[in-house]
Amino acid sequence: MGLFETAAAKALASSGVFLFMTVLLIAAAKRISTCIALFSVQSLVITAQIIAVSRMHHSAEGFVVAVLVLTVKVVAIPYVLYRIVEELQAPRDVSSSTSASQSVFIAAGLILLSFFAVRPYVGVLGGDQAMLAAAVALVLTGGFLMVSRKKALMQVVGLLVLDNGIFLAALTTTFGMPLVIEIGIVFDLLMGVFLMGLFVFRIRDTFDHLDVSKLRRLRG
Amino acid sequence: MTQLAFNSFLVAMLSVPVVTLISRRWTKACALPPVLLMGSLAAGVAVAAVGFWGGQRFTVDVSQVASFSFALSVDRLSAFFLLLICSVALPVILFSSSYIPRHYAGVRRHWLWVLLPLFLVSMVLVVTASTAFAFLFGWELMTLFSAGLILMDGDSEQRRHNIFIYLLMMHAGAAAVIGAFLLFLPHAGNFREMRAIATLMPPPMRTAVFLLAFVGFGTKAGIVPLHLWLPRAHPIAPSPVSALMSGIMLKTAIYGLVRFAFDFLGGGPSWWGYLVLFTGCVSGLLGVLYAISEHDLKRLLAYHSVENIGIIYLGLGSALVFTANHVSILAALALTAALLHCLNHAIFKSLLFLGAGAISDAAHTLDLEELGGLQKRMRLTGAAFLIACCSIVGLPLFNGFVSEWLTFRSFLAASELTNLSAAIVLPLAAGVLALIGGLAAACFAKVYGVAFLGRPRSREAESANEVSLPMQAGMGVLATVCVVIGIFPGLVLRGLGTLTEELLPGAALPPTAASLSVLLPWIALFVLVPVAGIAAFKRAKKLTATWACGLPGLDGRMEYTSTAFSKPLRRVFSEVYKADRTLDVVPADQPYFPASISYRSVRTTSFERSLYRPGVDAIVTAANRLRQLQTGNIQVYLLYIFAALIALLMFMRWV
Amino acid sequence: MTLAMNAVQVLLLILLAPLVRGVIARLKARIQNRHGATVWRPYADLVKLFRKEDLVPDSASFVFRLAPIVVFATTLVVAAFVPLLHGSALLGVSGDFIFLVYFLALGRFFLMLGAMDGGSSFGGMGASREALVSTLAEAPFLLALMSVAILAHNGSIAGMVQWTIGQSFFQFSAVHALAFMALALVAIAETGRIPVDNPTTHLELTMIHEAMVLEYSGPSLALIEWASAIKLTVVMALLIALFVPWGIASSLSALALVVASLVLLLKIAALVLTLALVESSVAKLRMYLVPDFLGVASALAILAVVFTALMR
Repeated sequence: MGLFETAAAKALASSGVFLFMTVLLIAAAKRISTCIALFSVQSLVITAQIIAVSRMHHSAEGFVVAVLVLTVKVVAIPYVLYRIVEELQAPRDVSSSTSASQSVFIAAGLILLSFFAVRPYVGVLGGDQAMLAAAVALVLTGGFLMVSRKKALMQVVGLLVLDNGIFLAALTTTFGMPLVIEIGIVFDLLMGVFLMGLFVFRIRDTFDHLDVSKLRRLRG
Repeated sequence: MTQLAFNSFLVAMLSVPVVTLISRRWTKACALPPVLLMGSLAAGVAVAAVGFWGGQRFTVDVSQVASFSFALSVDRLSAFFLLLICSVALPVILFSSSYIPRHYAGVRRHWLWVLLPLFLVSMVLVVTASTAFAFLFGWELMTLFSAGLILMDGDSEQRRHNIFIYLLMMHAGAAAVIGAFLLFLPHAGNFREMRAIATLMPPPMRTAVFLLAFVGFGTKAGIVPLHLWLPRAHPIAPSPVSALMSGIMLKTAIYGLVRFAFDFLGGGPSWWGYLVLFTGCVSGLLGVLYAISEHDLKRLLAYHSVENIGIIYLGLGSALVFTANHVSILAALALTAALLHCLNHAIFKSLLFLGAGAISDAAHTLDLEELGGLQKRMRLTGAAFLIACCSIVGLPLFNGFVSEWLTFRSFLAASELTNLSAAIVLPLAAGVLALIGGLAAACFAKVYGVAFLGRPRSREAESANEVSLPMQAGMGVLATVCVVIGIFPGLVLRGLGTLTEELLPGAALPPTAASLSVLLPWIALFVLVPVAGIAAFKRAKKLTATWACGLPGLDGRMEYTSTAFSKPLRRVFSEVYKADRTLDVVPADQPYFPASISYRSVRTTSFERSLYRPGVDAIVTAANRLRQLQTGNIQVYLLYIFAALIALLMFMRWV
Repeated sequence: MTLAMNAVQVLLLILLAPLVRGVIARLKARIQNRHGATVWRPYADLVKLFRKEDLVPDSASFVFRLAPIVVFATTLVVAAFVPLLHGSALLGVSGDFIFLVYFLALGRFFLMLGAMDGGSSFGGMGASREALVSTLAEAPFLLALMSVAILAHNGSIAGMVQWTIGQSFFQFSAVHALAFMALALVAIAETGRIPVDNPTTHLELTMIHEAMVLEYSGPSLALIEWASAIKLTVVMALLIALFVPWGIASSLSALALVVASLVLLLKIAALVLTLALVESSVAKLRMYLVPDFLGVASALAILAVVFTALMR
């Protein structure tokens, strides 16, 4: 195999490692734009994985899904989010309730947890241990981001990372979901982001801030 | 022949108090007790050396003469600890031969010379005992004599409270140790018999023995959370006594744990090792973190003892894990590291406490905030203290590094194990050890930098003078040993290798330890030759004033204090300290022009607050409830007796 | 013969270290649109300082003059542990990475003591901050090195290099990636570069390393500056040796050595360029954010160690 082939094969084999890196970096990130960029990178890695899996199974559907994910998750959603961040003209830091190193330690703990959770199932479900663990880690990290970051936009980013994780888990175990469902999910996400964008401006205009922890009137 | 030497060593040690008492009226003979004591300790060193490197065994068996089971027997492990005791006590007594006459007069001085040898004899008893009775006899005597020695320094209310807590915790620990022995005792009273019985014990009972021994010896060793007595008792003792307590007495607890866990029980399931390892990590970290926040020199050193016991426990824990995984070679490596650290810690900790004694002799204060610039005025004391600081931090070319290096090697080798949890936990413990080492470096840079370097911060520090010759000699001997073991550890390592081979079945010292003894001198040469070369090169120097941005006259108040130095670290680790802070502004309604502001910050109370106080309160509440049984009415008491009789009859009928 | 080669390696490292510093400074200047001093400037500085006399504060003890010597000697020893051109090091022995970490700690310890001996507030401040940074950097340093040692089943740095050469570049694992990131972060902290410390600042409140050497002058200062340059070069060489050692000479033939030297120069140039770019584009961290920085490094190093067992 040529150098390119070897490099590509190695890159795919270590995409699990890349995803762990993004998990740690997104936990340590201090600016919203960094988190958006990392989400974009994650989606790119997942796209590459989709292409590899489709080549292995010779399915054309897979390439369609790959193109879809590429346009929506790697380009469109991050672009929309960047525009929202710029329009808001609010401070661009990720208001987090845990410091950077605490977040990284928690993220590392979540990665280890996902490894241990996945160990018994590796033989049964098929798929490679690192990818499966990366999927669980993405889900857990998405959840962690939603819980610990106070900005409304970070809730969206956390949700997107979580969805990435679910997507990846489906990819590694069952080699993708039926095409229609994939398209449905992706467009749901796009709509969700647009709606969130609209709401974020409404929230800011009504309350003059975007701090989710202060929105407490939802009580009985 | 050597048996005779051992017997005469014991007799000589016991004769020192007698001689002191007899000669107390003759002022000319005031040098007799220390000289006699040093002579007997030298004999002890010789005897122990023969036992440790030669493998000779000695026994003193009283049970053949009298009817109670009191016997001493020196095997390699006992010989090692006997060597530790005698060789560290020798310089300390040399130091005290000048320190004690300067600080204590009359009756107190005589009491010190009576109690010191008795204290040393009790420790010898503990490490050489071969029956449970002899061991416990020595154990209790150690506590009593050390309490007596602490009392020699004064008995104010505060001191008596601290001594009380010391005695209380020591006795609680002794109760656990007695419990551990009692689990053997229906059948055995002699160590040989105990070894045989232990192989026949069911696992729950072995676990019970191990846990009782762990708690009992842990209290004496000072692991967290049983360490409360250490920072209360060690600082209030006279400095040579602190040196003996911190350097040697804590090691007798390690001896007890090694005897129980490796000799009697022969290792156990992995969780024993993980327990010891975890305790070691927590003690090491918390000990050094508490030490960083201290500025009373002796309290700081006491907390460092907690830290070093934690490091020893790291080695012991990994040795237990390796034994459970049947890798005796690695267990030997870890055990050698732990035992070597015992010896190293005894040496450099005693040196540090002797240095503290010298500082208090010269500057009459042990508060770091009042010291400074002592190196220029006390050259040898400062140099010896510097060597001790480098050793305790574990810097290369000093003895602390050798044992830490061996511990790191055992953690590294653990990654080869097939057991997954061991392969993960043990290398992570290496990270904890590295963190502990880094914190210790920060702390001792603070101690030496604030106390000895820079400018004096008080009148006393300005007028400090070098201490007397015996005190310097005592410190010098210990400092030299630190450097010698640091560069030529081969002799001690070989002896420890043979020791662990005897203790652990099928073990042999792995080649890494042997290669270290070969390579370390070369590495030392590679460092020392440039240092000596550059230092010898005469460079022009000119004395000026310290640059003060053009302002005249820097004085000691403008230097960094000990509290300031440790502030960044205290802030990063603020979760550990949870200080109680009180700020009083008088008068309260004038915040900007107060008459006085007082700020009080009490740290290191978190264990007392969260662990001990609730426990004590619970016991007191329970006791108060029980008190209701004591009505004072005689008929009720008769009822109790009658009810007990009826219950006994029913019990006998239906059982 | 190997011995002579290894000695030459150490000498090369010592003599080239100021050049590395000079190149970094020149690159930074160019990136920041300045001319910058020539790359040989550090050598001129060293010569100038060695010809001057030592100014010693009158309150200082022998530690003040001893500290720079110890710092220099320990960096020399550390240089002897790292293989540069040939797959062996002068003092290479199993477990030498522990020696490396702790000899650096010895140098730092004496530097802190020397700072406090100066008797000024700046010395104490520099020492106190250095204590913070070095305490937190030691654990990830050791753990990252240990993870590579575990992976290579070999305790010496030279052995790790040999093992890595035997693998192909594309066989790197999660452990390598994590350990490399951890070591890169620790390297910045250990050598005192932006974002942890600014080596060219003149504001005392932003100094860590510079505040410790404020009182030094003449040959003492020369020794300290040289040692700092050697440390930077050694850490770079360590990163190269552990993670991208291909090109190292496997035999002692002249051709192999020439090739190895060229490849090494290329790798160091790449690292130097990266460092200059990072230093010019990132701001220095506030001091109490440095523990966060090192906390990230610690988390990475811990993960690296755990992964060596998990991904077996």
